[in-house]
Amino acid sequence: MYVEAILVFLGEALIAIGVFFDIIASIGMLRLPDFYSRIHALTVGTIGGAVVPLIGVALLALGAPFLGVYRLYLAGAAIITAILLLMLAPTGTHVIARAAYRSGAAKPLYISIDELATKSEGRGGEKR
Amino acid sequence: MSAYRALILVSMVVFALALSYALTYGILRLEVPLTLRDLAKLYISTTFNPLKRELSAMTPEGVTAIVWDYRGTDTFFEIVVFYGAIIGSVALLGAVYRYPPGPGLSLIAKTVTRIVATMILVVGAAIALHGHLTPGGGFQGGATLAVSITIALVTFSLGALMLRGLTYGGMVALRSLGLIGIVLTVFMVVIASLTAGITAYVFQNQPKPGVPIGMAYSVDGIVFSGTVWFLNVLDAIAVAAGFALLFIVLIGGGVEGERE
Repeated sequence: MYVEAILVFLGEALIAIGVFFDIIASIGMLRLPDFYSRIHALTVGTIGGAVVPLIGVALLALGAPFLGVYRLYLAGAAIITAILLLMLAPTGTHVIARAAYRSGAAKPLYISIDELATKSEGRGGEKR
Repeated sequence: MSAYRALILVSMVVFALALSYALTYGILRLEVPLTLRDLAKLYISTTFNPLKRELSAMTPEGVTAIVWDYRGTDTFFEIVVFYGAIIGSVALLGAVYRYPPGPGLSLIAKTVTRIVATMILVVGAAIALHGHLTPGGGFQGGATLAVSITIALVTFSLGALMLRGLTYGGMVALRSLGLIGIVLTVFMVVIASLTAGITAYVFQNQPKPGVPIGMAYSVDGIVFSGTVWFLNVLDAIAVAAGFALLFIVLIGGGVEGERE
């Protein structure tokens, strides 16, 4: 009884935190100046705005006894999706940023030092 | 904020509020009907019904039952169209050459792909193997398997995967194996009926009125739905190999090098 109430409360709190992160990510996507700073806002939206609320959904489902045995399916699916997103979202962002840098599609305007430019992975695909 | 942006913002808010109002109060009339149509009653009473076995497909998943039993010939020709398209692409793009392993993507992407591609392979196999019980089936399972192959192709480069056995010839062989298996499964009951001295239908699964011979639908209580399980698995193999062949040709076709 009390355990279920605590689970529901925690789950709703995590979903509310997710809403907060999603709003922050949306503002960041609109307001940040270039590609490389907007990609930070993108990951705030995928981790804070998708992984955290999915864990909240899992807790919410575990605290809902009227769902019967299906609450375990719901919670398991939500947790697995959260773990997959936790692995895939940073990887996807990394691959996109790397491709954008190496192809020269997005110019890094607001950086003070460009360490990759001195390494073998030069800009614009030259001397890979 | 310009007037144009304010207009966009206000219209989005009004649209969301109007849609939620309409859905909440049922203005769009999207309620679920409480009565079944006769066609729905027919399908529900014949997809899995051991009491009417001569009329039933004995496949618990209704969509797969329709795809591989009620209208199996139609699905067969859909597959033929799909392989025709793949053969056309292969013919247009030309031969594939053996490549040296490329650099691929970064170490981060490779590590995550090793984990995720394996998980996608398991999911694809499950979709195909449980196609007669849960939503999905052969084509869907095969397409999921092909996703795994495709992200591996992008991440590790074509040459690295060719060294590990994902070759043009291998995929052609696997795809042909799936197709030959499908054709054999289609004629399985007919071949069995010839030895028993009666005439059966092509694409027959369960015993039909007038044809007492047919596939079993369960082994030790585990339902496999006769030919539907075999067709799902073979279709998954053929679709996965076909998509892999397509992506190999798209990535590596028509470049100078040592021919495979």
